[in-house]
Amino acid sequence: MSIQMELIYHYPWLPSLNIVFSSIASQDPIEFITETFKKYSPTEIQERILIIFRAAFENLEQIMDYKVDQLNIHCYLILKILLYTLNNPVITNRIANLYSKITYEELINESDAYIYDICMDLNLDIKYYQLPIEYGIRIIKDQREILETNFRINYIDYLKLSANMRDEYRRLVNNPLSEGYVFIQKRNIIRLLQEYVRQKLILKQEVDKTTLDAFKSEVLKVEEFKEMHEIISNEWALKEEEFEYSFELDFKSLKEISGSYPPCVKETLKKAQEGQNLIHTERLYIVWFLNSLNYPEDKIINIFSTLPDFNKEKTAYQVQYAKKKGYIPYSCQSLKSYSLCMAKKYKDELCLEGYFSRKYDTQREIKHPLSYVRIKQYRISNIQKNSKNQIKKND
Amino acid sequence: MTDNTYLKRLFQAYYRELKPNIPVISYFEQREFGFIPWDKQIMIRHLSFKTPGSLLKELIENGPRHVYSSGSLYLKPDNSNMNKKEYQGCDLIIDIDVDHFYTSCKDDHDRWYCKECSESGKGMPSKCPKCKKTKFKILNWICDNCLKIAKGEIMKLVYNFLIPDFGVKESDIKIAFSGHRGYHLKVENEKIRQLSSEARREFVDYVTGENISFEVLGLREIGLNIYGLIKSNIGWSQKILTKIENIVNNYSNVQLEHLLLKFGLKRNIITSFLNSKDDFVETISKNRSLWIIPNFGITTWNTFLNGIIHEIGAKIDEPVTVDIHRLIRYPGSLHGATGFKVQEIELNELEIFNPLNENNENLNPIVFKSKNIQKIEIIETFVPPTEIAGEIYGPYKKEDKVEVPHHIAVFLLCKGVAKTL
Repeated sequence: MSIQMELIYHYPWLPSLNIVFSSIASQDPIEFITETFKKYSPTEIQERILIIFRAAFENLEQIMDYKVDQLNIHCYLILKILLYTLNNPVITNRIANLYSKITYEELINESDAYIYDICMDLNLDIKYYQLPIEYGIRIIKDQREILETNFRINYIDYLKLSANMRDEYRRLVNNPLSEGYVFIQKRNIIRLLQEYVRQKLILKQEVDKTTLDAFKSEVLKVEEFKEMHEIISNEWALKEEEFEYSFELDFKSLKEISGSYPPCVKETLKKAQEGQNLIHTERLYIVWFLNSLNYPEDKIINIFSTLPDFNKEKTAYQVQYAKKKGYIPYSCQSLKSYSLCMAKKYKDELCLEGYFSRKYDTQREIKHPLSYVRIKQYRISNIQKNSKNQIKKND
Repeated sequence: MTDNTYLKRLFQAYYRELKPNIPVISYFEQREFGFIPWDKQIMIRHLSFKTPGSLLKELIENGPRHVYSSGSLYLKPDNSNMNKKEYQGCDLIIDIDVDHFYTSCKDDHDRWYCKECSESGKGMPSKCPKCKKTKFKILNWICDNCLKIAKGEIMKLVYNFLIPDFGVKESDIKIAFSGHRGYHLKVENEKIRQLSSEARREFVDYVTGENISFEVLGLREIGLNIYGLIKSNIGWSQKILTKIENIVNNYSNVQLEHLLLKFGLKRNIITSFLNSKDDFVETISKNRSLWIIPNFGITTWNTFLNGIIHEIGAKIDEPVTVDIHRLIRYPGSLHGATGFKVQEIELNELEIFNPLNENNENLNPIVFKSKNIQKIEIIETFVPPTEIAGEIYGPYKKEDKVEVPHHIAVFLLCKGVAKTL
């Protein structure tokens, strides 16, 4: 289908970019960067890109004066190349988070027709109705509100786009589904598009370091690009210091027990370490879990410092509040219902098969992540005891 | 000749006779195949065949105990490294097997033997009542009632979920009797093949009703009032409330009481419900959200609604649907635990299909049916009665020497409860 040029300027992540600007798509990246800096003002390119990086480093959710001309396409592609060469998952996640939020704010003001065109360009199976269709009623006390929408999306596309969003209300089972299509509000489609953009920017980390290094050495020969790369790297280095960026979970005063964490905790911590965004329930869970183990407050705050929207004061307040209230972490049943249970993914024997309880003389399931830690610790201490006894015997 | 060799030869003969009419699954050459032989309990995987003829040749030569093919398509199905098979997508596979859910007749025909303390009994316990361990030897039996229940679950899945909610076309649905205690359903569609394992998990949640949030659907406590779900809301709200209406309108008070006890509600709560049920049904039908039944707090409503969900959801073997690398029985092949054929059935044939007494010879899974009598000896402590084609054989006990028709002999030999004489 043909898509309006201004939509591609505005949203350069659209697949049509490769068709409409096929000359760019087929170009060698280094050649593309060199030509872009010749064709457009290097200062302007730098300004536009740095404003995004700086906003991301400051955890801002918007940038001022987002321009939507042809240069926007070039800036978007250079930004992607920068993320690749920087090869830093925390930076990538922050940029992806910010850029997708900017996209959301832009899309929310678009007409239904444009949203439909964008979905079509993404090859989404979506139905648009000129007149809104009803799918239910919401009643709160005496207020009745008809639930209606102009959009329905095929459940397969819905599931693809919402795969990384585990909020309860987004689950298919909690949504109106009929004839293969989910009734969906415009703002929720836009939220799905936001997630699409975020995922598109999260590059897979280059495994082959040699290829990356070879590319870097070539692309950094372009002076303007090199300058930008250095500015970003230096500013990030300062930011890292400011956030006391670290991810050490051990603490000296108490026993280090991270090896005994259940897979749900390991997975969430891994995501945080990679700078991925954590959903609300994941954040609460980690805080409550580590608080229950008496982890020092500053160490817990540090875990969140890698998140794209980290705010030290807010995090500190939340951690202290949770501690004061004495919240305990979710049970295994709740974790399952929030899709946070990772027993199957990690093929964790203790989670999957439980343990044999001498007290009850029966096989019992693990029902709580803290029980998991307790049993793991018990097993470890037994192994240590046995090996000590073995050493004594050998002596 | 050992009994396994005897059965292997029978299976070989069946495949020889079948030639060349073995059912052909779509994208045949892109499927991975697997066999379990008669002499050892291992799955030989990572096989592929260019043509149905070459598969049949293999079956005739080796007469395996079980034959499987993948729901997935691969460019290199015979590569033993899963990551190098070059995965192309997977059919949506649903397995409904009475092994995975309770049926009341199991208390009559299924037996368990505790491997730890040698205790034994009938039914389907989760752990040994004597030693509390969970390692059992299970002797589960085929029964018409169980198979009817399994068929009912397939019908429920198709007509309450796949067609109305997921918009699946009837022509994309392939159903097969598994040859033992259940049915397989496959949805073959290019777009559905691209569903990730996580997306399949969401599909499973939808058709089982797992992980529903009543709060998201509208159930909440505001002050002293409970606000509930609305019947006109498309999706699970509508399913739940329609089911409640059906139950209240069609069940007697005794049946209702029995059901609510099964849900885990206490007697005084049940009495409240029975006293208020007509008003409650009116509340539902008039799309009112204020739910009033004395003694019903938010916890009770949750318990009640969870019970209703259990009645609505399809009882599927969840891991089979979520796992994109699973192998399933090949249609037309024989099930090594019964000697019955994995029988494909069209959707419009399903309702009248009766695997243990099928009149249509083209659909009859009992391929060794014969009036020839064979003498066998029972080697299991107790063998429940077997009803096939209207005739009942058994019950038998250890060391009974019995004369039974050939197909019953094959069945009992495959089940491992008898030996040839």
